[in-house]
Amino acid sequence: MSGLGDLPFPPADTLTLETSDESTQSTAVIPMWRQRLRIFRQNKLAMASAGYLVFIVLLCFLGPRIHPTNQTNQAQALLQTINAAPSAHDWLGTDISGYDVLGRIMYGGEYSLTLGAVAGLITIVVGTLYGMVAGFVGGITDSILMRLLDAFLSIPLLFLLITLVTIFPPSTAVIITIIGVTGWFANARIIRGDALLIRKLEYTQAAQAMGASRWHIIRRHVFPNSMSNIVTVATFSVADAILFLTTLGYLGLGIPLPGTDWGTMLSNSSQNLANGFWWQIYPTAIIFILVIVAITYIGEALRDAFEVRLLER
Amino acid sequence: MGAYLIRRFLQSILVFFLVLIFTFSLPYFEPGGLNAIAIDILGNHAPPATIHAFNVTNGFTENYFVRLWQYVDGLIFHGSLGYSYKTSQPVWTIIGIYVPRTIWLALISLVLTIVIALPLGLIQAARRNTFLDYSATSVLFIMYGIPAFLLCLLLQSFFSYGITHLPLPPTSINAFQIFTDPVPFILPVASLTLLSLAFLSRFMRSAVLDVLVQDYIRTAKAKGCSELRVLARHAFRNAIGPIIIILGVFLPGLLGGALIIEYSFNYQGLGYETVASALNLDTPTVLGITLLVTIFTLLGNLLADIMLGVVNPRVRVEGK
Repeated sequence: MSGLGDLPFPPADTLTLETSDESTQSTAVIPMWRQRLRIFRQNKLAMASAGYLVFIVLLCFLGPRIHPTNQTNQAQALLQTINAAPSAHDWLGTDISGYDVLGRIMYGGEYSLTLGAVAGLITIVVGTLYGMVAGFVGGITDSILMRLLDAFLSIPLLFLLITLVTIFPPSTAVIITIIGVTGWFANARIIRGDALLIRKLEYTQAAQAMGASRWHIIRRHVFPNSMSNIVTVATFSVADAILFLTTLGYLGLGIPLPGTDWGTMLSNSSQNLANGFWWQIYPTAIIFILVIVAITYIGEALRDAFEVRLLER
Repeated sequence: MGAYLIRRFLQSILVFFLVLIFTFSLPYFEPGGLNAIAIDILGNHAPPATIHAFNVTNGFTENYFVRLWQYVDGLIFHGSLGYSYKTSQPVWTIIGIYVPRTIWLALISLVLTIVIALPLGLIQAARRNTFLDYSATSVLFIMYGIPAFLLCLLLQSFFSYGITHLPLPPTSINAFQIFTDPVPFILPVASLTLLSLAFLSRFMRSAVLDVLVQDYIRTAKAKGCSELRVLARHAFRNAIGPIIIILGVFLPGLLGGALIIEYSFNYQGLGYETVASALNLDTPTVLGITLLVTIFTLLGNLLADIMLGVVNPRVRVEGK
């Protein structure tokens, strides 16, 4: 992934580049997070993406309160007209089991978004810890940890996911854990690269020479300086986790009933492809793709916002 | 070069055994341990005698290390991957039925991808920042971002049930049907090709862009080589190195993509069988296929290293 080769601190000559008379005189330093927020807000595409995500989260979590529909009682759903076209009553029609599709999108979205976020967070926490330890401790520990990682990485991810889903009975918690524990391998690689790089830098060596403990160096130097990669990777991890959850759902290995997710919805609806029931596929598919695209754009904007070289000093 | 390849080979073997031990140990972590498997497969009301018989047949009564040794011994000296819980067939027999179908699907797509992606990336780089480059990049970007299963859904919806009525693969196929009766296989092959196309041509474009700024390209132009010759002889051959490495990494992606595509189109290949076995809780089959795909992956990476030595003399000489 890019950003690996970039030094996490500016070269000496660019440090003074922005120093005009006014900025040297002003004593009030703009907090770094505010500068980052400003850079982020300058990115129109990322702001639109963030707006879209907020809209979808509100839709999924508040929508059911405003537009309550039956999404859990299969017997009652089957009493409705199944595969009904969109109408004033069911804005996006009903699906193959008689559930209201708009309500289903919200209900499935709650699962997809929550699971994606939690699983994505697990991958980044585990990946960061593993990568930091491997990259910073180095030596034989690094070799062993990296060979193990090679082994994990050489099992194609989708096959590994399916294997795990076969062995562990599917439930929401199991699926979160499975996506979480299989998603961190690549993250660990990236963070390890960062830690290796930062370990060699002068300020880390200076801290080491002054007798700082390993833990202190990881906490105060390595961690803050690889923050840009961690945040970016975390964002992409959430997108990946939602994608894998949806793919599993599409393969029929997703959230078990009475829950659902967007992948399971699309999988059920694909049986009606030949009948041309567009409302069962396109709204869900478009909302889902845009969520993935939006998270990706936000990740790219965050990477820019954390790029120290773009900050004013 | 030789020493480097031997080291890489030994590393691959080590990694393979780590994967083997890992996949073999997984069922032990099932809630309830190995005893739960019999109940999963035989149902809640199976009599204890049946369960015991199942456990004995599958060797669950032995301890972990004995079973691990039997598995390794079976795989290496007898080429056996165990028996399916569901059909009691050897896993190899099942794999033998499904592998050829997937291999043909993947190979045809791979060839198509290479034949289209490499020239496309080359032209995009040579005509950088033109309308052609932009339009190709944006179309490919959408292809790159779209999840595999959604691409399949959309292609099916447009070309099978929409503007055209392309037939889909029949439920029962033989390995060579893709050559004798190719029309139903157009959509699966197209899906897999489109998925990999975006990936490969993006890399090709950036690899050629890196090469085009080199001094030897300028020299070649200065001494009067035609543009075609510069691109084909000088740029292409130097850009192909990174692409070969990517191709090695690409193989597992292709198999993963093939899995989703086979499932979407009801194309009964290895991926389809993986999902079907998973839904049947047939762990030995899923583990066997996973192990096989891992071997493919490791071989792909190894092959990429060897090929790199073949096309790049510098690798041959320096040994790394």
